[in-house]
Amino acid sequence: MIITKKALRRRTFLRGVGTTLALPLLDAMIPSMTAQAATPANPVRRLGFVYVPMGSIISQWTPPGPAGQLGDLSPTLRSLTPYKDQLTVLTNMELKNAYPGTHATSNSTFLSAVKAKWTESTDYFLGTTVDQVAAKHIGQDTRVPSMELAMDLLTAVGQCDNGYACVYQNNLSWSSPTTPLPAEAHPRAVFERLFGEGDNAADRSAELRKNASLLDWVTEDISRLQRKLGPGDRNKVSEYLDTVREVERRIQKAEAETANSHMPDLDRPAGVPASYGDHARLMFDLQVLAFQGDVTRVVSFQLARETSTRTYPEIGVSDPHHPTTHSRGNAEMMAKVAKINAFHVELFSYFIGKMKATQDGAGSLLDHSMYLYGSGMGNPDVHDHVNLPLMVVGGGAGKLKGGRHIRYAQPEPMANLHLTLLHKAGVRLDAFGDSQGTVKELLEPLDM
Amino acid sequence: MHCERKTLITSVLALVSASLCVAAPQQQTVGPERSVINQFCVGCHNEKLKTSGLALDTVSAQSIDQNPEIWEKVVRKLGGRYMPPVGLPRPDDATYKAFISKLERSLDSAAAAKPNPGRTDTFRRLNRTEYQNAIRDLLAVEVDAAPLLPTDEASHGFDNVTVGNLSPILLERYLSAARKISRLALGTSGHSAGSDFVVKLPPDLTQEQRFDELPFGTRGGTVVHYTFPVDAKYEIQVRLSRDRNEHVEGLSGPEQVELMLDGERVQVFTVQPPPGDKDHHGVDMDVNARIPVKAGPHEVGVAFLNPTSALLETERQPYQAHFNMDRHPRLHSALYTVSILGPYDAQGPGDTPSRRRVFVCHPAKPVQETDCAKRIFSTLTRRAYRRPVTDADLVAPLKFYKQGLAEGGFENGIEMGLRAVLVSPEFLFRVEQEPAGVAANTPYRISDLELASRLSFFLWSSIPDDELLDAAIRGKLKTPAVLEQQVRRMLADDRSRALVNNFAEQWLYLRNLDSTNPDMRAFPDFDDNLRQAFRQETELFFESIMREDRNVLDLIKANYTFVNERLAKHYGIPNVYGSRFRRITFDENSERGGLLRQGSVLTVTSYVTRTSPVIRGKWILANILGTPPPPPPPFVPALKESSGEGRVLSMRERMAEHRANPACSGCHKLMDPIGFSFENYDAVGRWRGAEDGKPIDAAGSLPDGSQFTGVAGLQKALLNRPELFVGTVSEKLLTYALGRGVEYYDAPAIRKIQADARTSDFRFSSIVLGVVNSTPFQMRRSQ
Repeated sequence: MIITKKALRRRTFLRGVGTTLALPLLDAMIPSMTAQAATPANPVRRLGFVYVPMGSIISQWTPPGPAGQLGDLSPTLRSLTPYKDQLTVLTNMELKNAYPGTHATSNSTFLSAVKAKWTESTDYFLGTTVDQVAAKHIGQDTRVPSMELAMDLLTAVGQCDNGYACVYQNNLSWSSPTTPLPAEAHPRAVFERLFGEGDNAADRSAELRKNASLLDWVTEDISRLQRKLGPGDRNKVSEYLDTVREVERRIQKAEAETANSHMPDLDRPAGVPASYGDHARLMFDLQVLAFQGDVTRVVSFQLARETSTRTYPEIGVSDPHHPTTHSRGNAEMMAKVAKINAFHVELFSYFIGKMKATQDGAGSLLDHSMYLYGSGMGNPDVHDHVNLPLMVVGGGAGKLKGGRHIRYAQPEPMANLHLTLLHKAGVRLDAFGDSQGTVKELLEPLDM
Repeated sequence: MHCERKTLITSVLALVSASLCVAAPQQQTVGPERSVINQFCVGCHNEKLKTSGLALDTVSAQSIDQNPEIWEKVVRKLGGRYMPPVGLPRPDDATYKAFISKLERSLDSAAAAKPNPGRTDTFRRLNRTEYQNAIRDLLAVEVDAAPLLPTDEASHGFDNVTVGNLSPILLERYLSAARKISRLALGTSGHSAGSDFVVKLPPDLTQEQRFDELPFGTRGGTVVHYTFPVDAKYEIQVRLSRDRNEHVEGLSGPEQVELMLDGERVQVFTVQPPPGDKDHHGVDMDVNARIPVKAGPHEVGVAFLNPTSALLETERQPYQAHFNMDRHPRLHSALYTVSILGPYDAQGPGDTPSRRRVFVCHPAKPVQETDCAKRIFSTLTRRAYRRPVTDADLVAPLKFYKQGLAEGGFENGIEMGLRAVLVSPEFLFRVEQEPAGVAANTPYRISDLELASRLSFFLWSSIPDDELLDAAIRGKLKTPAVLEQQVRRMLADDRSRALVNNFAEQWLYLRNLDSTNPDMRAFPDFDDNLRQAFRQETELFFESIMREDRNVLDLIKANYTFVNERLAKHYGIPNVYGSRFRRITFDENSERGGLLRQGSVLTVTSYVTRTSPVIRGKWILANILGTPPPPPPPFVPALKESSGEGRVLSMRERMAEHRANPACSGCHKLMDPIGFSFENYDAVGRWRGAEDGKPIDAAGSLPDGSQFTGVAGLQKALLNRPELFVGTVSEKLLTYALGRGVEYYDAPAIRKIQADARTSDFRFSSIVLGVVNSTPFQMRRSQ
């Protein structure tokens, strides 16, 4: 990342998130943060995944009209109308491996498309998720191979005691079948991860050097332990060493970049905004920022957690989300859930708007991105995993055609979509999860 | 794995189909156990039907020790009288008891002969709470680890189980936390401004009355506990709460805001409505003060001066809650945020508890520096690594010290070395290694040092202190007398509060209070003040059982609790005034008493709009009786909302459908009747005699068939068989103490904890000692 222009006023960015969001200032950063790698000849492809829990009231989600050209949008998706030409809605995909129907497996199967091992203990086992497969390919050129974001700061007790360890319900992204990646919900922590700590470039460089040498020592220390352990435990230590190496790699990358960087001294977001909407918009802003600076190219974002009992007073829904989804056909409750669903889409739509407005090479960030948005649950009232609410937005750097409604007569594995997105991102892979093919309609032939 | 899940689901169905099972023909002469099994069990649990995957006809009842996993399951089902299901022929109580005790004796003596302590994971990372406490005890500095580290995942009900993982983001955060903490502890943090710290008050906090930590004559506000990094000037900014029109709420005339440092007045500000009451932008712009503060922990207080104590006159019973613009607006303005900015004009690191803790020596001359650094790091590493340290352990910290020394002097060197200690795997992980020479898959006694760490993380959620560590290093800790003395000392220490705010909070689901938001229309009186009062009541109550070393059954039956005015009003208890909590005693026919009738428990087991007999019943099964029901089967059919004739069904009628539906009835027959006995308490724990004009029917029953009315009746029924509750408390404590799920082979240990505690009236300390002395706590199985 070479940032050559200093467009932003110092110490103004995101100041006092607690009181007012200084988001318009974001635009002021754009000229200084355009990634150089993203030249028209060489557009960077970015991949994102947004998860919403407990499905969506599907009658309000599915676009009316036949498959093919996307006509008027459904009530839930209406806020995306301005971006319809880059939107594809997929109807009747399923996650067979999420059964038996639970909240935990809705979340864990969404990006892995494999069955979660049924356990409450530390022997949990899933699969590498699609975002992490992508990160291993297209994320290695950036300082942060992938970002995992979430919205829930509190952990509830007794809400994942259905026999599945909480890791399944809380972590969307897994870098290996045994490594769930904790997601970050504090804007400030995300910010520091993106832009480092320290007041200025010299500070940041010094910090990076210190951390690098600390890690050298951590490696020594772990290796010393390893020699004293039995074979089973030695595997664990090897995993730790892999982690250390990965962090070292990131630091090296960051050091190289910081040396050339003239990044403005940004103010960090101070806290977590009080309202859910403001918090979510800030988390989305940080994604825009991360893409602009080409700090990362892969993101997963859990917009709310399965079994969340969050209320949404800002849109007039004071009923908690999860119990209300068990509506037993009650029209009033379903209307409330649909309102929550539409609100989530509106927040996403805010982000898509920002992506579209942000120039990136010859096009916009949106032109060069692919975002999958949806849920691992179909009908939350009965905990099924078919007819999932799913959509893909973005231009995929010319690889994605929007304005479509793809409708399957028979349930189609969602893994086909993952595989397709991976192909689009330039990852060569024959199968993913329980995939049986690709989503042909989404694909332009890939010229690689 | 998946077949196991199926068996759980089929077990639900099995209860229903049980009536279809026929008793097996009697076999030839058999022992008394076999004949009980044949008469009452094998009708369903035989090789052919394998109800719940369990066949008891082919398992020998003579050699019980051969199949402990099966028989422990039988003991559990019979102990709670879950089997045979209500409605089928059951043995009389004497037969139950004789059979269970025969099984238990066989299982226990087998376990004693061949102990299986299980195997805790070799690597267990300190979780966030433990990290925060360890920092406090290592460096004498209070940090809030929540923004520093990611949240931990819970398994088996506790967040110290799934702690074997080290992801890149976690490692990055440890590096970053080490930097922030060592700078804060030593006062070497950059002298530039920018460490903004913002405290935001909950939006649903009513601020019309005085808060406990603030002076008389004030109302609302807050006290911020903050560690100031260096001697310097700091800017304190105060902002008031605004409604959605950006108007300062409740501001009808001039108000006075007092800013305090450590209880002393710093300044009083006057805020008033702007001319024309239009643009409130500038109302609180000037409520800022830049003041000199010495480094170290201080209390920044902000409150409103209370001009009058005159009673508020309203036409009707005033609400307790005042925070909502439309429903029950604030009467006066309220505090929204307190920000601490700085340092400015830094004067130096000052003299702080953390610097005193770290700098055990001060080199007068440069030649003394290395020796002093050595002393500092041997003290730090010994505590941080929880073991004696050698010169080899000092090599790395000293290397980093030298780097730092070269760049910025002695203290900078110490900071660098401290960062190294804080990212050492030996600090971040608890490692339990089997000693050399132990055969594979063999139980062995853990070392005294490992025992010391198990103890301190169990009782304090933190590292051992010097006394405990010394006892372990001398090899004395395993001596029963020394061990007991240490446990009692540690329980008496303030740090054992971790058992309240870490163990009990998770066990009883108090942690969920923060995310509980009862419906504002249904419960207009609910505010954050009540939420925090709920939490505090239960914490004080649990702590009283612990500190006064009471019988743990008092958790169920105690006739006292702790309330302040807010909570007393909510409960309808007269003559309690002020924000301070005090102990009150109930008479026998009171509506309150014991944990089960506290607002916290009643609220976290409710929906936001109504009570949930199912959740309450499930909570009792899981957390009091220790027999959580299996999860609901997939594709749950919808319950009917109305009777078909258009009449809306009552809660009990709708729930009746649960029990009529074969897919649900097995478990709901157990959960719902327990939950019904709570119906006199609404979704925020208030007493009610009627709902929607209809009198409450609080009749309930337990799986053992006992019938009762109301929670008082439930309490009596629970106390009839105290071993169930005491067993559950022991099991929860053991899970938490070991950081692993409790397995069938731990059952003998849990029975022993219980039996030993019985001789000491189930005192809290006797259960804790039982856990500490248990096989799984003192031993481990090699790989």
